[in-house]
Amino acid sequence: MHELAIADRLLDRAVSAARDAGAERVDGLTVELGTATHLVPEQVAFCLDAVAEDTPAEGATVTFERVSARGECSCGWHGELETLAETVAGVPDRRCPDCGAEVELTAGRECRLKTVEIPEAPTTRKTDQTDQT
Amino acid sequence: MTYHATHDVDRLLASLARTITRLQPRQPLPPDRRRGPLRTHRFGHESDPEAGGSGDTAEADVLAAVRETAGDVHERLGHDHDVFAVELLGATGAGKTALLESLLGDEGPTPFAGERVGVVTGDVAGTDDADRLRALDVPVVNVTTGRDCHLDPERVDSALDDFDLDRLDVLVVENVGNMVCPADFPLGTDVRAVVVSPTEGDDVVRKHPLLFQVCDVAVLNKGDVAAAVGADVQRMADDVDHVAPETPVVRTSAETGAGIDELSAWLVDRRRERVHSHG
Repeated sequence: MHELAIADRLLDRAVSAARDAGAERVDGLTVELGTATHLVPEQVAFCLDAVAEDTPAEGATVTFERVSARGECSCGWHGELETLAETVAGVPDRRCPDCGAEVELTAGRECRLKTVEIPEAPTTRKTDQTDQT
Repeated sequence: MTYHATHDVDRLLASLARTITRLQPRQPLPPDRRRGPLRTHRFGHESDPEAGGSGDTAEADVLAAVRETAGDVHERLGHDHDVFAVELLGATGAGKTALLESLLGDEGPTPFAGERVGVVTGDVAGTDDADRLRALDVPVVNVTTGRDCHLDPERVDSALDDFDLDRLDVLVVENVGNMVCPADFPLGTDVRAVVVSPTEGDDVVRKHPLLFQVCDVAVLNKGDVAAAVGADVQRMADDVDHVAPETPVVRTSAETGAGIDELSAWLVDRRRERVHSHG
């Protein structure tokens, strides 16, 4: 389970991006996740939830966009790769459909923070705020 | 009987509940979290001026950042100190340590004869592998990962601080026994060698296709016990060709010494290539 290490890194980026934009809170993140990785969206979400507690991203929604594996071959072929039939997780078939050689991946290894949703106006911290019980 | 939930369990359950909620189709934010319309901060290529990013993928892509750190480690080893580095991966019990003992030992063919070799061992707990390799009189740095199921390039970089890299020719990194997580975490070595054995079942390759796709050689070890466990080594080799057509297959037995010469020759070739590519 290496999703925790990945979630930590995503959280750091999201929180610092929000701060850079003058926001004190992260309301949501969108993450692009490639099919040529061993990361499972549900596990990343679960870990993000855990590491986000007591941070500005606590309770933020997470949306995943799967990125299909693409490749290019020395024979000139390029495009989206088929998946290996016998794998449930959609592991790409690295064989070139034209010549059978192994293709280089051009997409599918992402775990990329695409967007972070933050409140419209920078929130000002009120010292008399007592809505936390 | 009254059950008193601990604070930790409460937190975990709350966490779980939120995660389950989140995996449903998207709901509007609850009122207490909705303070006017949201803005969206974008990263990378379609970056708007306020993103302040260079569009560099590693800034937003955590796996690209891992690969970038691995690149830094590779630079430190190969470019700064002229060290050839090999990573051994595979499940617990595949025979990684025994194979390394064969490659570093005094008997039979060794790819690193007369070279100064250092080893980094990664294990979740304990120093068993490190102790076995120290017995061969090579410097060993043991990295105990504790929570993590894999080494990462940051940990390898820290481990390098414990070596005098100017007095090292070859570094071998033996990863934590695991066939899943290390696939996403390259460490910056010149080659990644995955080791599997028939005792894991002759379908072990097709169960872990991604790992074979990211490795440079597949070592089918413990060939001497294949018959005893009813495993077909040819099927394992065919599966490698299927999931990673250009990954060479070497059949070995650390026990009998079979195939160690072939693996040595492959490593020597890769090393020559590196010398040429680095000038």
